[in-house]
Amino acid sequence: MNRFAKILLRASSLLAAVVVMERTSFASVDDAQSFALQAAEPYVKQGFQVREDYWGGDLASGEKKAVRQQLFKGNEYWFWLGTEVDRAKVSVHIYDSDGKLAEEPDSWEKGHFAAAHVIPKTTGSYFIIVSVEESPEERTHWALVYGFR
Amino acid sequence: MMLFSKHLKSFVAAVFGIALCAHGAQAPQHININQLSTTVEDVVVPLPNEIFGALNKLGSVNWKEHVRSDKGPNFTERPRIALLLGTVIADGFIAVQAEDAPTVKEIGQRVLALAKGIGVGNSITPHAKAIIEAADKRNWENVRQELDRTQNSVQQAMNEVHDEKLSQLVSLGGWLRGTEVLTSVVKQHFSADGAELLHQPDLLAYFQTRLKAMPEFNLPIIHQIQDALVEVKPLIDVGSAHIPAESVKKVNEITSRLGNGIVTRD
Repeated sequence: MNRFAKILLRASSLLAAVVVMERTSFASVDDAQSFALQAAEPYVKQGFQVREDYWGGDLASGEKKAVRQQLFKGNEYWFWLGTEVDRAKVSVHIYDSDGKLAEEPDSWEKGHFAAAHVIPKTTGSYFIIVSVEESPEERTHWALVYGFR
Repeated sequence: MMLFSKHLKSFVAAVFGIALCAHGAQAPQHININQLSTTVEDVVVPLPNEIFGALNKLGSVNWKEHVRSDKGPNFTERPRIALLLGTVIADGFIAVQAEDAPTVKEIGQRVLALAKGIGVGNSITPHAKAIIEAADKRNWENVRQELDRTQNSVQQAMNEVHDEKLSQLVSLGGWLRGTEVLTSVVKQHFSADGAELLHQPDLLAYFQTRLKAMPEFNLPIIHQIQDALVEVKPLIDVGSAHIPAESVKKVNEITSRLGNGIVTRD
């Protein structure tokens, strides 16, 4: 390889490293929220009102978090989870106050998006469990939004 | 709002660490809730229209009779303004249910004035404008969305300047007004399903915890709310039992009393 090519290769590697570092350093829960909202988009057309408020943070691979949320019988809810790390795999599941899986069978996981659908049988507290199943990053930002109709 | 109780971390890891593996394994059909923390921290407080939506599905509601557009006094104490702001936003949702455009527009202006009163007017101005424009066009879905954005922006602006406690009072004001209207509707046409919408013990406990952490807000209305929540708790924390009509009536009396207290000068 001639000298010019070597310099070019090194410069491109350096540039690539800087770009990767920048993405890692500046990625945030807000980015994750954008992805969660992206997952929610098709449901808005079906009449779901997506809340402005959301949950967020970062998790290591295999780590899980839970949040308790008040749900009302008569409403129908979707919870959408997203991360900006596109090679990550995430999941979200919903349990009732007795610890029984409460989600509908159409809940789904697709790489760095996941969604859980619940039609509460009773009004009360439910547990939403989010998880980063797999990720190339040490810590993976995540955000969870929800909508109802 | 950044959510999630730190308390839950270790419990959840223990409960789920083995049960769920990577690669999107099937979720367990059952988890042991007792091993999760019992505290409700950083919960997303439901908007009043979340409850109103569920109420609507139980039968038609005459929302017009619940519309309130009194301007109320101009408070100088920031906690009082925050509580009032929460109730006024809830009134906005009620006016949307009633499809009452003039009231929605008045509420848009009132929200802006109150937000200015606690120093977060700038973040609300575009939302107030959007509320008024959407009400003019009778685009109720947009009004609902802007009311949600308004509350969220107010709270974010407060959180940014470390006024989280005021932000919580906004949520509390909205929850109290929502509960007042919910009980008023259910009281008129009682049904077990309607009364069940009151089953919110964890949310009530969340507000109790938050209020306990606000000793600096030494105001009569805050003490009255604290006392009232103690009264309400046994009425709605009934486990799997039904909430009777008498309890609904009692909760309505309590929340109506508080509602008056929030909009009235001491």
